[in-house]
Amino acid sequence: MTLVALVILVLIGICAGLFGALAGVGGGIIVTPLLAIYFGLPMHQAIGVTLLCVIATSTATSSQYVEHHVTDVRLGMTLELATTTGALLAALVASRIDRRTLAILFACFLLYSSGSMVRKAWTSRHEEREEVIPDYTPQKYPLGLLASFVAGGFSGLLGIGGGPIKVPVMYLFMKVPLRVAAATSNFMIGVTAATSAYIYWGRGDVRVNIAAPLVAGVFAGSLAGTRIAPKVRTFYILMLLVGVTGWLSVQMIYKLLTGGFR
Amino acid sequence: MSRRDDAADRVLSLTLKAGAYTAFGLIVLGLFLQRIKGLSFSTAGLMVLLATPVIRIAVAGVQFLREHDLKYALVSLGVLAIVVLAYVLGIQT
Repeated sequence: MTLVALVILVLIGICAGLFGALAGVGGGIIVTPLLAIYFGLPMHQAIGVTLLCVIATSTATSSQYVEHHVTDVRLGMTLELATTTGALLAALVASRIDRRTLAILFACFLLYSSGSMVRKAWTSRHEEREEVIPDYTPQKYPLGLLASFVAGGFSGLLGIGGGPIKVPVMYLFMKVPLRVAAATSNFMIGVTAATSAYIYWGRGDVRVNIAAPLVAGVFAGSLAGTRIAPKVRTFYILMLLVGVTGWLSVQMIYKLLTGGFR
Repeated sequence: MSRRDDAADRVLSLTLKAGAYTAFGLIVLGLFLQRIKGLSFSTAGLMVLLATPVIRIAVAGVQFLREHDLKYALVSLGVLAIVVLAYVLGIQT
C-alpha cells in the first residue's frame, strides 16, 4: 500500500472515531461506503473491516460511560443475549448474499439513518444536559430482546452497530433514560460486532493492511472525541454527519444504477 | 439501584481501557514497523481488539458472582457461550 493510501485510511478512521464519540452514531456507517466506493473493496470485505472499527469505537468510548455509571451493565448484558444471536446468524447468512444485494440493503440503511439523525438533531436543538439520571426500571424485556435481535442481525449483515434501532426502543418502550439507553447501546455494540467479526475474519474478509490504519485512526478519534464532547454542540455534529451520509447514499445509489458493486 | 456498584464498574472500565490502549499501541507500532517486519504487530493489535469484548463479558460475569448475583452471572455465561460459538465457527474452521 502507498503511504498516501495509508494516511487517507488513518484520516477516515479519525473522522469515524470522532463521529462515533460525539454523535453516538456513524462510527461504522461512513467507513463501509467509503471503502466500497472509493477503495473498490468488495462489500463483504468493506463490512468485515468496518466491524473492527465499530469494536474500536465501542471499546474506547464505553469505558468512560461505565466509569461514570451511565451504562446499565445488567440491561446491556441481558440484551446482548439477543444481539449476539442475531449477529451470529446474520454473519453466517451474509456470505450467501451477493455483493449487489448487500450494497442495496446498505444504501437503504444509510438513507434511514440520515433520516433518523435529522430527527435526532432537530430534537437536540436546545438540548439541556440531564445531570442526574432519574431512577428507572426497564420495562417490556421481550420487546427489547426482539429489537436487539433485529439490531444484531443488521450488525452482522451490514457491519453497523445497530444503535438507531436499539436506542429508540430502550428509550420509548423500555422506559430507560435516553443517556442510559445511548451508553448501554454503545457498550453492547462491541460484543455484537466482535461476534460477527469472528465469522468475517475466519472467512478471510478482514484485510489487516486496511483494517490496521483505520482502527488506529478510530482509536485516536474516539479518545479525542470523548475528551472534547462536553464542549461540542451535538446539533452541528449531527447535521455534518447527515450531510456526509446523505452524500454517501447518493454515491452508492449512483454506483448501483451504473452497474457497480459486482 | 443496580447501576451504582462502584467497584464493579471501575474494574469493567479498566478492562476496556487496557484493551483499547494495548490494541492501539500494538497497531501503531505495527504501522511504523510495517516496512521492516511485515504486519505481525498490527495483526496482534487487531487480535487484542477482537478479544477485548470477550474478556469484558468474563470480567462482568465474575463481578456478578462476587456480588452473589447468580442470575446475571448466568446471563453473562450465556452471552459468553454464544460469542465463543461464533469464534469456534469462524476462526477455528
